[in-house]
Amino acid sequence: MRNPWAQTGNYRTDYRQDTAIFATYLEMLSLWAFLAVLLALPLFLSRPQMFVLDLILVYALAVLGLNITTGYAGLINIGQAAFVGVGAYTAALLAPSLPFWLTVPIGGLAAAVAGGIVGIPSLRIKHLYLAIATLAFQIIFEWTVGHSTILKQGGAIPLPRVEFWDYRVGYKNHYYFWYYVILLVVVVLAFAFRNLLRTRFGRALVAVRDNDRAADAMGMHPGLTKIFAFALGGFYAGVAGALYAYLSRAVVIEDYMLPVSIKFLAMAIVGGLGSLVGSFLGPAFLVLLDLNMEDLANWLKSLGLSYAGVDIASAMRPLTFGLVIVLFLIFEPRGLANGWRLVRNFFRNWPFKY
Amino acid sequence: MRKLGVLVFLVLSFAFAQKVHLMWSGAITGPTSDAGKYYAQGVEDYCKYANEEGLTGGLTIVCETRDDQYNNANTQRNFEEALERGDPAFLGYSTGGTLQLKPLIQEVGMTYIPASYHIGNIDPPDSDYLFLPIVSYSEQVIALLEHIAKEKPGAKVALAVHPSPFGRAPVPDAREAAKELGIEIVEVQEMAKGLDYTATLKRFANKGVEYIVYQNVAGPVATMIKDARRLGLKIKHAAAHYAGGPDLLRLAGDAAEGVIWVTSYYMPYEDAPGAAFVKKLGARYKRPADTVESVHYPSGMLAAAIAIEAIKRAHAAGKPVTGDAGREAVYAEMLRLSFDPGLAVGPVTYSEEDHVGVDHMRVFEARGGRFVPISKPFQSKLFRKVHYGK
Repeated sequence: MRNPWAQTGNYRTDYRQDTAIFATYLEMLSLWAFLAVLLALPLFLSRPQMFVLDLILVYALAVLGLNITTGYAGLINIGQAAFVGVGAYTAALLAPSLPFWLTVPIGGLAAAVAGGIVGIPSLRIKHLYLAIATLAFQIIFEWTVGHSTILKQGGAIPLPRVEFWDYRVGYKNHYYFWYYVILLVVVVLAFAFRNLLRTRFGRALVAVRDNDRAADAMGMHPGLTKIFAFALGGFYAGVAGALYAYLSRAVVIEDYMLPVSIKFLAMAIVGGLGSLVGSFLGPAFLVLLDLNMEDLANWLKSLGLSYAGVDIASAMRPLTFGLVIVLFLIFEPRGLANGWRLVRNFFRNWPFKY
Repeated sequence: MRKLGVLVFLVLSFAFAQKVHLMWSGAITGPTSDAGKYYAQGVEDYCKYANEEGLTGGLTIVCETRDDQYNNANTQRNFEEALERGDPAFLGYSTGGTLQLKPLIQEVGMTYIPASYHIGNIDPPDSDYLFLPIVSYSEQVIALLEHIAKEKPGAKVALAVHPSPFGRAPVPDAREAAKELGIEIVEVQEMAKGLDYTATLKRFANKGVEYIVYQNVAGPVATMIKDARRLGLKIKHAAAHYAGGPDLLRLAGDAAEGVIWVTSYYMPYEDAPGAAFVKKLGARYKRPADTVESVHYPSGMLAAAIAIEAIKRAHAAGKPVTGDAGREAVYAEMLRLSFDPGLAVGPVTYSEEDHVGVDHMRVFEARGGRFVPISKPFQSKLFRKVHYGK
């Protein structure tokens, strides 16, 4: 038989089995194997490479949050960077007096509260108008930070080095330590994300997205569901922000401004809206694409393939970023997650392959 | 045969010369890349020149310009790569990127020379290893106020600053200085990327504003200057380093006539050795006219020249110039560096207490489509008093 390890049929007999995450034990094993690879990865990577890996995971957390608000609940959010910023600033203010394992979840909670407040307009408005409301939050956040002396008016708020039990973090082990912390948080929150749709709260998000009147008729509360979506998406973003604050060792407003929100949206689109796998593939793809384009641009520059006044090599990076978004929107609006689905289906025996 | 011997010696000495890497990370694309691309070219060209002319003390300095797209995460990654490679110094760029890296810079002890002249870069905490190539924005703005106080005692002034730490930092010092100078700051307006400043300018006019002092980038300043001219206002405009210069002339055209600008660099059309040097390098490396005319081109050169000089001196003292010991040796040289590369209106001098390289600047005025100097090189009289209280 072709691919004997793959699922050979539908043997589910009850609803519990229907909502099972893994169809076979092999699928579960493959996830454990993947996690083992992730745990061992720092053995093979240098500090700058670890920073890139940490960054991808932090972005993935922010994109997971965006995928709850925009992907699951269909509420366009172009202020995700501001939610990340709320988490980062909260962590930065608390870091001198609280340990990181408290400041990170508190950062998430602060962003969740902000998300709940920003979600209030969604009780009355939707679609493009709601998107503008989230944009307003982004602008208000930037203005507030810029005019708050306690937040250094957008200048740097440094975070102290952390200690965990007797383990002291210095610059040499900084990215390695935070990798394991971030990985743990990512695994827990990705697990929660995956399970969200198996709960009535998660299914309510999708129901409200698809038709809020029908959802209302079925006993769900569209308003509260939308606020819940913003709060939960904000929580993920806030946790990402707090982790990023520790990772970069200082909070500066420029990391949480509108272009960063656009970048998160681009990552969600490229990865595939509403997809768990896409939340990782999107950030990884865009970050690695940028790094590779940088190398290519430098190589082209070294060949002297540009003439006076026009630096083609340098223009390649922003050009490629824009082009990738447009190409994905046109040719693969379901994002890289759909590619991953097609690859998995190719190896499946069931249905249709015998 | 003798010529061949010399050639072989030169080739061998170049091949076996110790290589030291020096990285610049800044915006060649993205926000502020209108300045960053020229700055990068300045770094590249001075580095090539120093290697070719033997100004590196027998070392081969491998300069690398990285486009961080004004993204702090990219700056951090580039800095980490330089650190990992054992670079002895780092050339930075933006205010945000520099401020974010300060704790790490302090911890690893890497000499860091940013293109941002933000005073917060060299103010404590975590500022031991940061060195500004020229006077800070705060000192530039106070110098402009001093010029205004001389030109029009008791003048009413508005500050138009960028909505960021880069723009806001000089404001408290400027307020203090204005009190001392007997001029009045009637309003501080934050501005960026506005398409029309009619309302702001009308308000300024109603308040009797006679001068607007800009701590900003050239784009919004050009828009405001053009609007002021369209409205027929008799307000004079005074710009700090990044708010003025040839970029402003290009953007504002005739409306820039009469604008006052302060910087420590020479203009390429001046009759000065520094200006001739910039033109010479531009021609040597086939740079287009807009590069040579840009004030950011010599700015990049000066940053590279400072780092290369410190590396060269550390090497000449028999100290290692790479790795942990290299960072330490170059930093020690930076603290006693005193030399004149001729790229700015004064020598570069650093000490433990002084992390500003060129302490002098000049006031320029736009006349006939060019900025011409209207003052001798000078230092602000009030800056130290209002900022450091001495």
